[in-house]
Amino acid sequence: MKNSSSYTGIAYLFLAPALILMGIFTFWPVGYNAYLAFNNYSIADGVATWNNFEHFKYIAHEELFHNALKNSLIYLLIVPVIQIAALLVAKLVNNKLPGMTFFRAAFYIPVITAVSIAGVVWVNVYKYDGILTWFLQMLHLIPQGSDGQVDWLGNPDFALFGVMMFTFWKGIGWFMVLYLAGLQGIPKEVEEAAILDGANVFQRFWKITVPMVKPTILLCTLMSTIAAMKVFQEVAILTKGQADTYTAMFYVYDQAFRNYNFGRAAAAGLVVTFFCMILAAIQFRFLGEKK
Amino acid sequence: MAMGKQLQTVLTLSGQYAGLITFGIFTTFPFIWALSVALSGDPSNTWLFPRSFIPTDVSLMWFKRVFDEMPFMTYMKNSTLMTIESILGVLIVSILAGYPLARLKFPGRNFIFVSILATMMLPSEVAIIPNFITLKHMGLLDTHLGAIIPNFAAAFGIFLMKQAFEAVPQDLVDAARVDGATEMQILWRVMVPVTGPSIAALGIFSLVNAWNDYIWPSIVISSRDKLPLAVGVFNDLTGPFATSYSMVMAAIIMTVIPVLIFFAFTQRFFIGGMDGAVK
Repeated sequence: MKNSSSYTGIAYLFLAPALILMGIFTFWPVGYNAYLAFNNYSIADGVATWNNFEHFKYIAHEELFHNALKNSLIYLLIVPVIQIAALLVAKLVNNKLPGMTFFRAAFYIPVITAVSIAGVVWVNVYKYDGILTWFLQMLHLIPQGSDGQVDWLGNPDFALFGVMMFTFWKGIGWFMVLYLAGLQGIPKEVEEAAILDGANVFQRFWKITVPMVKPTILLCTLMSTIAAMKVFQEVAILTKGQADTYTAMFYVYDQAFRNYNFGRAAAAGLVVTFFCMILAAIQFRFLGEKK
Repeated sequence: MAMGKQLQTVLTLSGQYAGLITFGIFTTFPFIWALSVALSGDPSNTWLFPRSFIPTDVSLMWFKRVFDEMPFMTYMKNSTLMTIESILGVLIVSILAGYPLARLKFPGRNFIFVSILATMMLPSEVAIIPNFITLKHMGLLDTHLGAIIPNFAAAFGIFLMKQAFEAVPQDLVDAARVDGATEMQILWRVMVPVTGPSIAALGIFSLVNAWNDYIWPSIVISSRDKLPLAVGVFNDLTGPFATSYSMVMAAIIMTVIPVLIFFAFTQRFFIGGMDGAVK
């Protein structure tokens, strides 16, 4: 019998592709980003020069970046909404009823659509005479006729929430699938016993479902928080940062690929990373397993 | 008493279906509208709701025009190639890395596993700038490989495979070891066959991601004839074709359909195989 140390070589051999690729494309960027953040980087010759925190000082005083960070933090509001809705929907599709496969697939369609392609449709949904206007006028929530026609994505009071709605629509199916996998791990007997004991729907939801899928809740909340904090694809596609939808990550992208200021972009990226770490730590603290 | 019970069942069922249908309308209405507009030979009702949810003068002319005026098949070919390469890359890297993390004892195992998991908490988009510079040095800008290689080693895939391999009974591994199998043989002949559902789920997950990836390919690839669907169609739709809503919607439907068909056939693997991720 081989002893455990003889596995070391083979283990690292198997891990090599993952470690090399992650080293180049995941870990190195973290370090290099930190380096860029403290330097002026010249794209033409690739020379970086130390600049004594200039980028951080700059973004610390810049209105645009403050506003971008504020919008990213507002975006976090989507996390509880999407998580609770996804869990409820997962509960709904966890029943064995005719046609369930169809509904699961229908709920998943937005997830399997490219964000760019779905975005083009939603831009038209939000057009001043698009579906949203029609729907709200039908419910008499906004004035009829052309008075009620709002260019939703051009309106600073609404645009950010419009983008959030898109994220909700696009992402809920993904979390539904994860919760569904978690729910299928709950033995049927547990819920049946609770019904016999006379627990109502809400009691069963809070006392059985939620505690039993807690690991899934942590995983999903974490993923959705980080996705919300770093949101920018949706912004780039739907509004291009217009109408007060400029988010922190959009700032990074904009500084890098439009202003070609890689150093300042990296500094802002570092700030976003820092926020993500803090949020992840908070969630582990509150949702993680109690030791 | 019996009547009350029956009534309650009927009410619960109706409530459930009402919820399912309402939510189904919410997730599919943009596509239903897009499909209807794309099928309408006469675009005059496009902005008349709810009339525009039903096609006017059904015709396939807009689809034909997309084929004629957009290099749709080129985009499709690029997307297909990039997707297949991505799936292979992700599966090979994740399976190889998942096995030692799940079943072999070696120094540094926990440290490596925690480091890999920790990357899930990093905003991956921050890596765009350094990776762009790295690819420039490697000469991989404007290549398909450059557009997909950063996605090969991802924490989610490695984690999913590790969880799947951990659930394989030790007896199987022991029996193979007694027979003198190498670790590679154990992985390939014992582990891979019994973790089919998880591998299928990871494959489908990578397929959807690769097919739909937008930002990174749009930064890396600059030649139009190398673009995948998600980027090429978007660029064309927001550029030269933006004037005809009918064509925009037809192109969107054509982009969505391949994934939809694939997903319809594989969705049962997908939900089953995700078990590992949440346990």
